[in-house]
Amino acid sequence: MKMAWRWRFDYFNNVSRMKTFYISVLVCLITQSGRINAEQGNLSLLQNLKGTWSFSIGINDEWTSPKYNDTGWETIKVPSSWEDQGFNGYNGYAFYRKKFTIPSVHKGRMLYLYMGYIDDVDAVYLNGHKIGSTGGFPPDYVTAYNAERIYFIPEQYINFDGTNLIAVKVYDSYQAGGIVSGEIGLYGGRASVRFDVNLQTNWKFKPGDDLRRKDTGFDDSLWDEVFVPAKWEDQGYRDYDGYAWYRKSFVYTGSNEDDKLVILLGKIDDIDQVYINGTLVGSTGNFTGKMNARIFTGQEYNAFRGYYLPAGLLKKGQKYVVAVRVLDTGGVGGIYEGPVGIITQTKYIEYWRKIKKSGN
Amino acid sequence: MILVAITSISVSAEDLRKIISLSGYWKFSIGDDIQWASPLYDDSDWDEITVPEQWENQGYNEYNGYAWYRKTFMLGNIPANGTIYLMLGRIDDADMVYLNGKLLGRNGKFPPDFVTAYDKVRKYNIPAGYIKLDAENVIAVRVYDTYLDGGITDGPTGIYYDADNDYLSLKLDGRWKFHTGDSKDWSSPDFIDEGWKTINVPSEWENEGYADYDGYAWYRIKFRLPQNFSTGEMYLSLGKIDDVDEVYLNGKLIGSVYDLRKDGEYRRSGWEFNARRLYKIKEGSLNRNGINTIAIRVYDGQLRGGIYEGPVGIMSAENYRRFRNKHYTNQSFWDQIYDMIVED
Repeated sequence: MKMAWRWRFDYFNNVSRMKTFYISVLVCLITQSGRINAEQGNLSLLQNLKGTWSFSIGINDEWTSPKYNDTGWETIKVPSSWEDQGFNGYNGYAFYRKKFTIPSVHKGRMLYLYMGYIDDVDAVYLNGHKIGSTGGFPPDYVTAYNAERIYFIPEQYINFDGTNLIAVKVYDSYQAGGIVSGEIGLYGGRASVRFDVNLQTNWKFKPGDDLRRKDTGFDDSLWDEVFVPAKWEDQGYRDYDGYAWYRKSFVYTGSNEDDKLVILLGKIDDIDQVYINGTLVGSTGNFTGKMNARIFTGQEYNAFRGYYLPAGLLKKGQKYVVAVRVLDTGGVGGIYEGPVGIITQTKYIEYWRKIKKSGN
Repeated sequence: MILVAITSISVSAEDLRKIISLSGYWKFSIGDDIQWASPLYDDSDWDEITVPEQWENQGYNEYNGYAWYRKTFMLGNIPANGTIYLMLGRIDDADMVYLNGKLLGRNGKFPPDFVTAYDKVRKYNIPAGYIKLDAENVIAVRVYDTYLDGGITDGPTGIYYDADNDYLSLKLDGRWKFHTGDSKDWSSPDFIDEGWKTINVPSEWENEGYADYDGYAWYRIKFRLPQNFSTGEMYLSLGKIDDVDEVYLNGKLIGSVYDLRKDGEYRRSGWEFNARRLYKIKEGSLNRNGINTIAIRVYDGQLRGGIYEGPVGIMSAENYRRFRNKHYTNQSFWDQIYDMIVED
């Protein structure tokens, strides 16, 4: 998408204009789901998953497991509301299950499960591992019938060249229910990334702000864990806006110490500062305490983060802590899109050449 | 539209003429490696993209960070008397430009103290000896982009020369001594400026690594006259200076922009920074056989600073009149009358 215009915020210098500014930000956030939309974003369809799925009303923890035998279940067409498929008038819990194969040619690529629109609340599992959830199940019920579902699939959960099971837990409060619409399928991100350190995994996470959280020795043992990349709204922080920190320790196992390194953090909503062992290695947007209009343009959430690390910062076999300070001004928040990891400059150049070649 | 406007502004102010265009395909790679500045680096497996055009439109959608552009070109001939410029249009956000491995100039700032210069048209003075004739020259441009558009985005790209240099009997552009700050002693021909840094003239000092500098600074140059250099009344041209200046020749004040105030051209230019500096050199004030020293005290209030536009050198009284006639043609009848009265 071409950004022919750009905002430099010299004219947002009085209160009434700030209002316009916040409205603009809001518009950006609303349109954002369209941007990640599988059909028009950077994703391409690898495997269509529309068609016949196994279906049962009710709820049972075992139903998320690939070991569970669902041969006795009903079948149902996806996408469609279950009211149109013989379950007219049913409200409450239900499960969808489907088995499919993911070929190993997709190894290294960012893979996403696109589940379209689900009425009202869902949790999605791949091979028994939860990969995402939208809305709130009772007793804290919140509908998300108008939210598009797109879930990143961590590679370690995938059974390449073998059978993979998707299980979808749905709760519908009334009227139409189920996986109701969308081009349901497995989607691939842009070119595959050959990480030296893959950081697409669980990170320590805590809302609030404290600059000491950048330090290597900071005690994060009592912090919550969230998956990266995924919006924090899908991980128990539904209405949270404001500051939050992510922390992850890793051992640098890279092969070539002479090459420059780049840390990729995909996309972050809205602005971020990234520290490795307390050293600031990259930042997008401006942390002034106020929403400083001169640098905050409202486009930060859509900027792809690839920060070049200072030479010699990472040494082979050593342990490091990466800490990411995030400020979200509203709507979606957090490190919401990958790739996330550390890569040599040589591989990073390769990655962008592949993106150019593939034409997206 | 923007492109046309920039070209015409440059041409009308300075009589810049294009020697060759450098728009079209350039070698391109994301990433950052100082070896890529070297003319010896083999970029044959690099990608190619069009200049000027943001890289987002050329397969690098959403790329942010470092990238390099390289271009190899031949130059058959350059005007003997020309100040040569490399124009690169707008670069989003910061750049450092190398010609045959030598740093020509820079704009904006790279991380960690990042500053954008995305909206500024890049114009770099190419000092004598940096460019080769009838041989390959390599330009390498290091770019850093934060987000949104990135790269060499629009505007004129090419090698240009300033045709106004033809009016000079002695060119004084090139490397001058330069020091920020202010001291009375620095006007003296006896002052030892060996320890000073050098700077390209003409070139705004923002291009030369003084991106945030506002305030006082001094320029100094020593030169000898060629044998049989014409005698009689001469003029020192210093092009344009941002903002105000005092000029000393061999320790004597010969002019300041404030002296030009009675000049009709100054009134029409509107501001100090836009007035052409042309100072009379009285007969006998140049050393015919020894070393001459020019020292220029400059004060810049904000933004661009320094001797930023040519021609820089000494011209005869006759060429002085021709030069004025060329550039000062838009005088109204009343301006001419006023000039006559003030000159008397």
